[in-house]
Amino acid sequence: MTAATETDRALVDRVAKGDRAAVRLLFMRHHARVYRFVVRQTGSEMMADDIANEVFLELWRQAPGFEGRSEVSTWLLGIARFKALSLLRKKKEDWIDDDDAAQIPDSADTPEVVTMKDDKAAALRRFIDALPEEHRTVIDLAYYHGQSVTEIGEVLGIPVATVKTRMFYARKKLGEALKAAGYDRGWP
Amino acid sequence: MSAAEKMSRRDEMETLLPFYLNGSLEGAELEAVEEWLATDPAALAALGEAEAEFSGTAAANEAIRPPADALSRFAKALDAEAGPARAPAGQSWLAQAFNRFMAVPVGVAWAAAAVLLALVMVQSFVQPGGKGSDFEIAGAQDDLAKMPFALVKFKPEAKMSDIAVFLGEYGLKIAGGPTADGVFRIAIAAETAADYEKLVSLIAAQPFAEAVIEGRKPASGG
Repeated sequence: MTAATETDRALVDRVAKGDRAAVRLLFMRHHARVYRFVVRQTGSEMMADDIANEVFLELWRQAPGFEGRSEVSTWLLGIARFKALSLLRKKKEDWIDDDDAAQIPDSADTPEVVTMKDDKAAALRRFIDALPEEHRTVIDLAYYHGQSVTEIGEVLGIPVATVKTRMFYARKKLGEALKAAGYDRGWP
Repeated sequence: MSAAEKMSRRDEMETLLPFYLNGSLEGAELEAVEEWLATDPAALAALGEAEAEFSGTAAANEAIRPPADALSRFAKALDAEAGPARAPAGQSWLAQAFNRFMAVPVGVAWAAAAVLLALVMVQSFVQPGGKGSDFEIAGAQDDLAKMPFALVKFKPEAKMSDIAVFLGEYGLKIAGGPTADGVFRIAIAAETAADYEKLVSLIAAQPFAEAVIEGRKPASGG
């Protein structure tokens, strides 16, 4: 456990006692990441703005019940994920399971077209953005949010094995896209 | 047998690499990845590819800029939900001053920052046994004078809340300033010159940074 994590928990304890300064400090510390997470989930900055605000109001409401079983950042991302899914369901978005996701073609330019214009790093970034949402989310949570396999399972409400499967397919698709674009990295 | 269980050793290692890189891997899985990295010639190349993904993912996320007024709108929503604000028990007058300070634009806050910095240093003398705060502005007890530092001027329109989040994220502290020209001295807890330069580059790349001048670097190389 890091000192920063302990401080997060101490702040949640203060929030539970009605300390508004503590919730504002947690907002300053975590808002950007929560906001970015929701933008990546929903593709909508407007929706992300509303949801990120709601996440911290939910923190204010739920702080007395926070038992510290997960990191505060994991807890917040889990709330954000739930709210994003709820809102998207209300908007009658179709969601897909793992098997379907593996078969969905990317909507972006083909790898060949992209790489004619971009170097490898830029191409890789575009391939990450073009991953199916389920796969891109585990990539984001691991690489950007620093979440463990178990924590990603908590945020997404899926088993650890499914987290690994999604990570496997996400990285496999990235490797295949790079290979098709002329950057063979030797796997898959 | 699940799909995960059917993976080859290479597949399994490639799946775990992102978690190795983010430092969350432990136990048998950590040992397995470390052993793979030490024994398989292809592993280091694979690690390099994962690092490229790491950088690409970070860049894709950080390209998304949260609204600058998010904190002030949240504060209003919180007040609407929780009722009129009152000072929480145990919160010092200095903490309240700091929170008000965080909500104003940097251009307005320069003078306040100088005053607040002085107050923090004074408080470290008058409340030596007081409860710790969450300030990112450093107190005198931190002995920041010996730390590596850079001189940073922020854009007038930058928000202190954005700056505070950034400083907190990278363990940076305001060690002094602002000068008459609005320059702050930022203490950088880097152990090597390479780490120092990375952090200075990172500061310079932030949209709220107007100018960055390198100051004292760590003594060690690398």
